[in-house]
Amino acid sequence: MKTSPLMMLFYLGLGTVFGLVLSRSGAADYNFIQGMFLLEEFQLYGIIGTAVAVTAPGLYLLKRYGKTATGEKLQFERKPGHRGNIYGGFLFGIGWAITGMCPGPILVNIGEGKLYAIAALAGTLVGAGSFGALYPKLQGIFKLPSLQVGTGEG
Amino acid sequence: MHLILTDAAPIHWAIGGAAIGAITLALLYIGNRRLGVSTGFENICALVVHTPYFTRQSLVSSHSWRLPLLTGLFLGGVLSALLAGGWETTWALGMFDAEIGWGNGGKLLWMFGGGLLIGFGTRLAGGCTSGHGIFGMSNLELPSIISTGCFMAAGIVTTNLIYRVIL
Repeated sequence: MKTSPLMMLFYLGLGTVFGLVLSRSGAADYNFIQGMFLLEEFQLYGIIGTAVAVTAPGLYLLKRYGKTATGEKLQFERKPGHRGNIYGGFLFGIGWAITGMCPGPILVNIGEGKLYAIAALAGTLVGAGSFGALYPKLQGIFKLPSLQVGTGEG
Repeated sequence: MHLILTDAAPIHWAIGGAAIGAITLALLYIGNRRLGVSTGFENICALVVHTPYFTRQSLVSSHSWRLPLLTGLFLGGVLSALLAGGWETTWALGMFDAEIGWGNGGKLLWMFGGGLLIGFGTRLAGGCTSGHGIFGMSNLELPSIISTGCFMAAGIVTTNLIYRVIL
């Protein structure tokens, strides 16, 4: 599917709003992430819970409607199930706790001027790059889908 | 609690959460795209690494929307700092400074190590907080519910080990 310059601008703008919200809600803040995992701060549970509570019914209605704003057929891939969901989830959770950042907030933190976040991004790219390079080996261990399908886009 | 960036209270969680839900739905309704950030790291890797994994069609065809979205996330952070009174570089890391207290070099190592786990872990899991936690859970996908349970549990154990057991 081709992406027009106008749509690229849309994704850029949507990403900017997303980044602003993550920055000001505490989702890109080291202390709020530690507070969430220490079960001391409700903020992030409230954010994720509300996001799901808003997205779930909207998604249900959009799927029933079946079309996008431009009249295209609505379509997206469901996540494949495999052992990586579990082991990868554990590894990511440890990394999230260590850095206080999940993937989106890594970029937000760099934008905010937090210099250490550049090291988090460097580590993340090396981690993702190593995963891709080792995919044929990992495929057997974690019963991952074929390379064309991947572990799940997201 | 105050944000490290603004030293002010964050926006209410209900507003933040509703905004993220609206962004997720707008991405799907207008762009016909499923929200997910972590695959974007593969899009960045694919710019320099050309092994079969990074040249697969499903990844290459998503460059044109994921790369602008990721750039936007960065710009959102810049804008947030500008609106907070001016952009400046900082090493401030809140609780880490108060209780672990490593210098800048130590922070870089700490963050790089954590980043390795994020990059490898999210790609092995097939998603992160956005793709599994928000979109996948909202769509009642079992792999997403399992993965979200795993990364939340691992985060709770890790932070409690660091701040309640070791320190």
